Amino acid sequence: MKLHTVFFPICCVVFGSCSTPAHKEAKSDAAPAPVYFKIDPATAGTLAGVVRFKGAKPHPKPVDMTSDPACVDAHHGKPHDESLVVDAKGDLANVFIYVKSGLEGRKFETPSDPVTIDQQGCWFEPRIAGIQVGQTLKVVNSDPVTHNIHPMAEVNRAWNHSQGAGDPPISRKFLKPEIMIPVKCNIHSWMHAYIGVLDHPYFAVSGNDGKFRISNLPPGDYVVEAWQEKLGTQQQKITIPPSGAVETAFTFKGE
Amino acid sequence: MEGGQTAVISAATALRTPRAQAQATKPARCKRVLHFVFPVIAAIASAGCGQQAPPQSDRPIGKIITIEAPLGLPPIPVPADDPETAEGVELGRRLFYERRLSAGNVLSCASCHNPQLCFTDGQKHSTGFQGKTGTRNAPTVMNAAYFPYQFWDGRAASLEDQAAGPIANPVEMNQTHDISVSKLNADPSYRAAFEKAFGPGRITINRVEKAIASFERTLISGDSPFDRYQFGGDKTALSPAAIRGLAIFRDQSKGNCAACHTIGQNYALFTDGKFHNIGVGVDGEGNLVDQGRYSETKLDPDRGAFKTPTLRNVALTAPYMHDGSLKTLRDVVDFYAGGGNSNPYLDPKTREIKLSAQDRADLVEFLQSLTGKLPADAGPPAETRTEQSE
Repeated sequence: MKLHTVFFPICCVVFGSCSTPAHKEAKSDAAPAPVYFKIDPATAGTLAGVVRFKGAKPHPKPVDMTSDPACVDAHHGKPHDESLVVDAKGDLANVFIYVKSGLEGRKFETPSDPVTIDQQGCWFEPRIAGIQVGQTLKVVNSDPVTHNIHPMAEVNRAWNHSQGAGDPPISRKFLKPEIMIPVKCNIHSWMHAYIGVLDHPYFAVSGNDGKFRISNLPPGDYVVEAWQEKLGTQQQKITIPPSGAVETAFTFKGE
Repeated sequence: MEGGQTAVISAATALRTPRAQAQATKPARCKRVLHFVFPVIAAIASAGCGQQAPPQSDRPIGKIITIEAPLGLPPIPVPADDPETAEGVELGRRLFYERRLSAGNVLSCASCHNPQLCFTDGQKHSTGFQGKTGTRNAPTVMNAAYFPYQFWDGRAASLEDQAAGPIANPVEMNQTHDISVSKLNADPSYRAAFEKAFGPGRITINRVEKAIASFERTLISGDSPFDRYQFGGDKTALSPAAIRGLAIFRDQSKGNCAACHTIGQNYALFTDGKFHNIGVGVDGEGNLVDQGRYSETKLDPDRGAFKTPTLRNVALTAPYMHDGSLKTLRDVVDFYAGGGNSNPYLDPKTREIKLSAQDRADLVEFLQSLTGKLPADAGPPAETRTEQSE
C-alpha cells in the first residue's frame, strides 16, 4: 500500500524534529514551554516486520456504487471491499501497528505536517491513517460529489462535516489518544476508514506486501500492538537494544 | 446645499444604519417618540427661521387597493399604517429601481434583488458600493411580505423596517438617509409622486420605506405546479418523481423538510419564519463563522441560527444558504442528506434526516415544481427602463 511508503518518511521527519528539541527559556509570566523527550540518534533502534494472514484466502465482495452514478464514474475500475486485503503470498495489508506501552512519561513534539485523508472515487484514501494528538488532519474532497466525513470518535469529540465538490480542505485535530476511530461518509454508506490517534510517533501501517517499519525508537521494552479492522488485535513484547534493528512478524488467522 | 435643506430633518430621522436598526428592539416606538419630539423641534426652529414645516402624516392617502393572493398563498398581511394604494405602489416601484438611493448613483435595491433572477442576484455574496461584498447571500424579495422577520438574522420586523437598511449600509448602497432624501427632493417628479401618495409634505425616509414596502407587497408568487397539485386539485400538475419528492419532503422519518419549510392545510409558505442552526457557516475547524440570530437575541441557542427561507421559486434563486455556499439544489439536498456540519448548536432535527440516493433525486425534482407565476408589473417602471437595461 501507498501508506507504507508515506509513513516511513513521516516517521523520519518527525524524528528529525524530535532530535533537536526546543530549549525555550520559560519566562515567569508565560506558560512553560513543553519539554520534549530527546531521542539520541546514536542509540535509537528500528522495529521492522511483516503481517501475515493464515486461512482461506478471502474473496472481497464488489462494492455497489450504482446508487450514485457520479461515484461509479469517479472511481475508475470496479471497487471491492477492502476490509481484509491479502496478497497472493498471504501478506496482510492495512494493519495498524503501534507502540502500546513503554513510552510513558515521555512527551513527543507534534509534527507540523498534516495527515491527509482524500475522498477520491467515493473512497477514503488512505483507509488506515495514524496521527498524533494535536496534529492536523486535512480532509480533501477530490470528487465531483458532496461527501460528509464523520469520524465516530468516542474518546475525542465526534464530528461530521459536509464537503461539496471543489470545497476547500477541512482541518481538524484530535486532542486525546484513541485506537481506532471509525470514519464513515454520511452520504455514501460503503466508504470506511479508520484513524489511530497517538501521543507519540511510533506507529505504521502494513503495506500491500504486509511489511511495516517503525524507526527511531529509543532503546527499551515495549508492548507493540497490531490492529486489524476485522480480525482484532495482537500484542507482542519487544525489546529494542541500543541501535538495535529488531525484526518481528504478526500472524492473523482467518476462518 | 443638501445639508442646509435637511438640517432639521436629520435631527428627526437620525441616521439609521442597519446596526442602529438592529439595536432598536421596537422600531415602531422610536417613530412614536420622534413624533413627540418633532413639534418641539419644529416650534423652536420656526421661532428662528420660520421655514420649518409642521409635523406630517406618513400614511398613504390614496384609495386602498387589495393585492390578490394567488393559489397556494394566504391573504397578504398589510400594516395598518401603510395600506396599499396604487400611488404608493407605483412610487415604491420607482424607488426600488432608483440608483440615486446609493452613493454615486450606481446601485438600486434591484442591483441585488434583480427581477430577472427572481429578485436575487445569483451571486454568493452581493457586490455593493465600490465592489465591496457582504458575508451573506441576497435573499429573494418575492413573497417576503409574508415573513414575520426580515434579513437572515431577523433584525427587521417588517418590510418597512428593512427597506432603509441597505441604503445606508456601507457595504451596500452606502448613502445616508439624509442624502437619499435630499436627492429625491431635488427631483420635482419625485416631490409630486410623494405628495400624490402621502399628501402634502416633505419627502422623508419614513415615506421612502413605506412606498418601497408597498411595492414589495405586490411581489407575490404562487400558482406553481405544486400549488395546482396540492391546492388546485390537478393531480397531473406534478411528475411522479416530484410527487414522490413531496412525500419525502413531508415524511418525518425521511426528509422532514416540512418541519421548517411548512406546508399548511390551505396554503404553503414553505417557511416557519423561525431561526435554525443547520450547520451552514461552520468552517473546516468546526467553528461558526457567523453567529446569525444570536447577534440580535444574545441567546446561546440562537448561535449560528438563520431564518428559514421560503422555498418558493427556489429553482430560480441559486446559490443557496445564508452564505451562498451551496451552488445547486442537488448540493443542498446532499448537504442535508449528510446531516450538515456538526457544531454545538446544531438543530437536532438535522441529525434525523435519512435520504436514499433515489430520495435525493426525487427531492430535487419536487423543488423544481415550486416555481410559481410571477407578478406582471414587477420590473422597472417605463421611465427608468432604459437606465436599468444599460
